[in-house]
Amino acid sequence: MEIKEVFQTKEIKKTLEILEYYQHQCKIIAGGTDLIIQLREGKEKPIALVDISNIEELKEVKETAEWIEIGSAVTFTQIIGISYLQNKLAALVEAAASVGSPQIRNAATIGGNICNASPAADCIPPLLALDAIVVLQRKNIIREMHLEDFITDKGKAALEADELLTKIKFKKLQINQGLGFSKLGFRKALAISKISTAVYIDREQNNRCKEIRIANGALGRCGLREKKVEEYLLEKTLDKTTIHQGGIKLKEEIEKRLHGRSTVAFKKEAVIGVFQKAFKKALECCDTEGSI
Amino acid sequence: MKKRGIGFASIFYGTGYGNGFPDISNAIAELGKDGMVTIYAGATEVGQGAKTILSQIAAEVLGVSEKEINLICEDTSITPDAGTAAASRQTYNTGNAIKIAAENLKEEMIAIAIEKLGLNSSVGLAVKDGSIFLKIYPEKGISFKEIASLVEEKRLRRAGNFTAQTTRMDEDTGQGAPYWPYTFSAYGVEVEVDILTGTVEVLRSVCAQDTGRTINPKLVEGQIDGGFAMGLGYAIYEDLNIQEGKIKNNRLTNYLIPTALDMPEVKKILIEDPESTGPYGAKGIGEPVTIAAAPAILNAIYNAIGIRMKEIPVTPEKLIKALRKKEMEA
Repeated sequence: MEIKEVFQTKEIKKTLEILEYYQHQCKIIAGGTDLIIQLREGKEKPIALVDISNIEELKEVKETAEWIEIGSAVTFTQIIGISYLQNKLAALVEAAASVGSPQIRNAATIGGNICNASPAADCIPPLLALDAIVVLQRKNIIREMHLEDFITDKGKAALEADELLTKIKFKKLQINQGLGFSKLGFRKALAISKISTAVYIDREQNNRCKEIRIANGALGRCGLREKKVEEYLLEKTLDKTTIHQGGIKLKEEIEKRLHGRSTVAFKKEAVIGVFQKAFKKALECCDTEGSI
Repeated sequence: MKKRGIGFASIFYGTGYGNGFPDISNAIAELGKDGMVTIYAGATEVGQGAKTILSQIAAEVLGVSEKEINLICEDTSITPDAGTAAASRQTYNTGNAIKIAAENLKEEMIAIAIEKLGLNSSVGLAVKDGSIFLKIYPEKGISFKEIASLVEEKRLRRAGNFTAQTTRMDEDTGQGAPYWPYTFSAYGVEVEVDILTGTVEVLRSVCAQDTGRTINPKLVEGQIDGGFAMGLGYAIYEDLNIQEGKIKNNRLTNYLIPTALDMPEVKKILIEDPESTGPYGAKGIGEPVTIAAAPAILNAIYNAIGIRMKEIPVTPEKLIKALRKKEMEA
């Protein structure tokens, strides 16, 4: 089987019609940095491709009173360049900047990163920590779901065959809310994450942890939340001891999850350092003026 | 938490095939009817700059700019064998062969000039900018083109060959002179080790490189940058990950080599002590610039965390394992 048709559309409506017609036999392509390799290796065998990289609506980043909305075909280079993300959402910018190389970041999109659902996807942990929502569209129907529910397994997302991920949205951060990100790659560019961690903290006036979301990449079958560690840290005073204990708790979780894998000895140790960096950055971010 | 350390390593390296093996380079120098000089030598240019350096040597002998030397090294049907681009030997070996060929050609051209100009000897003759003339009376001179026109053959050609001198080592005693010349090199590096994640970053580096005589400083500096990058990859990145005889890291997504962002600035110090048997005193530096990098990095890691890593590459996995082992012992 080989690709028989390649469509390039300029509007969502047309894309949805193509998807409805071809169903599972069609793949959506945006930057193609993952898909092209999968096609070449024969891991994906669609008969049609629909290119969404020229749909203006999907390439927009919007700021509303309460939300940030990022179109699914927004590239990492675009995200890195948005001035209003640089302070309060520096962690998201950092994650976007850690993807591949300039060439890859110019082509690769946030929507592709999510739908490809690689365990090592760099943007998934910060978006999980932000409790991001994905907006999915099919002919006549728009639905929303939490990113956490959308990514179901390694390389799997809850995207129906005739559905298009149109945008990702999350609430803007206020003062005393902070996001931190840290990635461990084995070199400074073109490095696939060995561990990536994002931490969101909502801090109370008395320096206690009102709400916390911790998300990891490359430490399981897909990007995931560390709920047990979150529960453990809730209501705790945000100081060095807490960070230390959180790291130990996380290590225990990773040790259980990766049991039997050759990487467990290294990852259970290294995760402590990566977590601490992300946690400290999140606390620093709490002090940054809101609302973005 | 990060810890810094400094490390040094120095090496000496015998260039050439060595151990008594005949290490021969051949070259031909030719004066064309247009008065231009062509050098033929089967020395492979693999990006190391052989064409530039070998042209410079011929140009120096014949008193012209290296741009005026036509160097042919790619076509084996018209070039004599100059051996492999290996063993850091092309500058020294083929450089010598080309120098000899160019000198032989020059000698012949001077003989023709003496006859044509009606001189008594070669004393006081200069060879410069495409002509041969008397220094005390520059009007008395003849251009390369005129010399070429006086030659009956189509081209004036002279060969040159150079065979390096080494002896076989005695198999019982290990004695002998298996290599000549030797090139010396030293690296100093500063590293930062993240003891929580096991990553090593090289912050800065300095290379002191013996060149004998530097034929082309820019090319030597380029070789040092490239050599350090390879040594850095060898020391901390490049891992074949062989499991049950199979190479697991069989593509460049997982067989990591350093990127430009991983390369520190390398300060270069070129040390010139001319080698009496080298062309203008030059020695080979191709391999020497790589060798000391990895041991310097491993010494710096030891200086930073007090652990002697005895296997390369020092990946974060291995370093974390070693750090935890040290903690357990303490």
